[in-house]
Amino acid sequence: MKKKAIALFLSTMMVGSLAACGGSGNSSTGTSTDTSKAASTSSSAASTSGTASSGSSKPLEVVIWDTNQQAGLQQIADLFTEETGIKVDIQVKDWDSYWTLLEAGATGGDMPDVFWMHSNNSQMYMKNDILLKLDDYIEKSDTINLDNYMPEVTELYQRDGSTYAIPKDYDTIALWYNKTMFDAAGLSYPDDTWTWDDMYDAAVKLTKADGSQYGFAMNPSNDQDTYYNMVYSMGGYIVSDDHKSSGYDDPNTLKAMDYVGKLLTDACPSATTMSETGTDVMMQSGTVAMIMQGSWMTAGFLANDYMKENCDVAILPYDATTGKRASICNGLGWAAYSGTDRPDDCWKLLEWFGSEAMQKKQAELGVTMSAYNNTSDAWVNCTDVFNLKPYLDIAKESTSDVKNELILRPYTYNSTVWSMGASTALVNAWSDPTQMEKVCTDFAAEMNKAIAAENK
Amino acid sequence: MAGKTKKVKAPVTSWERNQNIWGWLFILPTMLGLIILNIYPMFSTLYQSFFKTGDFGKGNMFVGLENYTTLIQDSEVWRSLWNTFKYAIIEVPFSIAIALVLAVFLNRKMAGRSTYRAIFFLPMVAAPAAVAMVWKWLYNSKFGLLNHVFGGNTEWISNPKIAWISIAVIGVWSILGYNIVLFISGLQEIPKDYYEAADIDGASGPAAFFKITLPLLSPTIFFVLITRVIGSLQVFDLVYMVMDENNPAMKSTQSIVYLFYQYSFKYGNKGYGSAIVLLLLLVIMIITIFQMIAQKKWVYYN
Repeated sequence: MKKKAIALFLSTMMVGSLAACGGSGNSSTGTSTDTSKAASTSSSAASTSGTASSGSSKPLEVVIWDTNQQAGLQQIADLFTEETGIKVDIQVKDWDSYWTLLEAGATGGDMPDVFWMHSNNSQMYMKNDILLKLDDYIEKSDTINLDNYMPEVTELYQRDGSTYAIPKDYDTIALWYNKTMFDAAGLSYPDDTWTWDDMYDAAVKLTKADGSQYGFAMNPSNDQDTYYNMVYSMGGYIVSDDHKSSGYDDPNTLKAMDYVGKLLTDACPSATTMSETGTDVMMQSGTVAMIMQGSWMTAGFLANDYMKENCDVAILPYDATTGKRASICNGLGWAAYSGTDRPDDCWKLLEWFGSEAMQKKQAELGVTMSAYNNTSDAWVNCTDVFNLKPYLDIAKESTSDVKNELILRPYTYNSTVWSMGASTALVNAWSDPTQMEKVCTDFAAEMNKAIAAENK
Repeated sequence: MAGKTKKVKAPVTSWERNQNIWGWLFILPTMLGLIILNIYPMFSTLYQSFFKTGDFGKGNMFVGLENYTTLIQDSEVWRSLWNTFKYAIIEVPFSIAIALVLAVFLNRKMAGRSTYRAIFFLPMVAAPAAVAMVWKWLYNSKFGLLNHVFGGNTEWISNPKIAWISIAVIGVWSILGYNIVLFISGLQEIPKDYYEAADIDGASGPAAFFKITLPLLSPTIFFVLITRVIGSLQVFDLVYMVMDENNPAMKSTQSIVYLFYQYSFKYGNKGYGSAIVLLLLLVIMIITIFQMIAQKKWVYYN
């Protein structure tokens, strides 16, 4: 009987701990008002002592999501420590856990001091006063003048006339190709005369029947770097200009997605293979001949010997019908937590990262292109292994008589819900490309519902 | 007043009071933990499931039963619940049967016994996330060790037909050691005399296992069964680590706790997430009650 009692007790415990798992998020929500109050009282207490001992031994906590940029940014942060005596600790979380961490932190009132902001979520964070308002700091600063940055990026982090982040970088998309495979197939390298049909033809020719080599690769989650660009180039759209409705059922979008389906059927590895291995890994292991990738991947590719030896970069193809070449463009911002106990130290760091010298350094180190005007050439020259000019060329008005367009990454108030929903929905179309049109039109309805349900 | 005090039968001695205070003091840490980490969140989850939660926990809106009506019509919820059952149906019986056999062998006197025990227990010590990562590489259809050694191009974790089995296999492998330890401790409680008597009567080997070991071990088996059913219905880390959002098999493997995580922490919809997890709580309670009733038929307490 004793054992039975123990068993019963233990099993109720297990049921209980399940609820605890469910509750952990909620418990912090339930008490969020109290904790945030507590945090703000302690922060005001701490900031008085903090200013007295500015540059205290406790390092500023910085969180980012891209491992490829960590080394370069740490170098820049070390210079900051030399200059000010304030230590900086940069940590990397992967994209998914980054946002989970930030959301939980913002809810519970325990955030990193300084972090990256992204257009997907910036509206939500700005509206709820999670980010430190920078207006007064910028006004007093000699180093930061917002006119010096790409206006598109600056605007992403402004709401109701206030600025919440200092522009960090901007990114565009280009076509990476494997020279060795093109040579072996006797094809000429991609250039600015290529249309999407040229790319398709080459991809088909580069695909070997035995499955050892494929022309192209893309996953449903490769939205910004792959299919968005095709959609906008062919005249379609993802989110309407007023950020209120979905463009997945637009006829031109469907045309582009039909092209995606053609590529998947004739020139890509199976959906299952791509989902397991990832397109960048396939490129780096010499399994695919072409992928489309953002400029942010350059630092990672520079660390790969196979890529350095065999691959190079070309400008994205254009659409013959619309005569348009389009690249999605996005930019990150450096933001600080509004409840931090050292707002002045945080600002010093933001100011440092945003200063002309450090923006230039970021480009020179090859970390990414910088948002500061006229620093991009430094980034192109950061290596002579790859020709990085295509990433800049697409930002020009036109290339060989084709009109170029930079499209800001489509976003709404809370883009995560529908952008993840799109990858989930498109998985079906990837497994069976004949379903593409139906999947996209069905998803448009789902996405409109998600946008309508946003908390704005 | 005087009448009330008279109801106390015997005056509490100072020794008894002392004992009482100490008793409460000793269970205080556990009670605090339970209340803060389990009981409070349980009610908080229930409370939250009636709200459309605002960003960062601010501005919650009462919506009554709306989350639950959506839940009942949401095919994704039921599919995830079904996936969870599929996982449990493999994990629970196999992890118990294999562990039982191995425990019987490991309980015998033999050379290197403690080494074997340590080896079987190792997966328990490794972090689940690390275990899942390693298996993910083993399973990889293009570069994985499994396909490399056995040949072929089996898509272990991206073919919807077999992915759920592949994941359950990891589950069985990681929980084996824990079950073995519990079974060994149960086996050691069985008096040796029974086996000696059986041996004299000519019953040994399999007969002794089925007639002596199994019945006398049934309380332990019951305990493992109950905890494993609950544990396997809460599977999350394996699915989260092994399956990628691009994976075509995701739909046929995503578990109910994974769905809860997705709604609560990725989509920021904690109200609906709470409703999902309460559904699981209900399911687990019903199953556990049935097991409690059924045990009267097969569990023997000495």
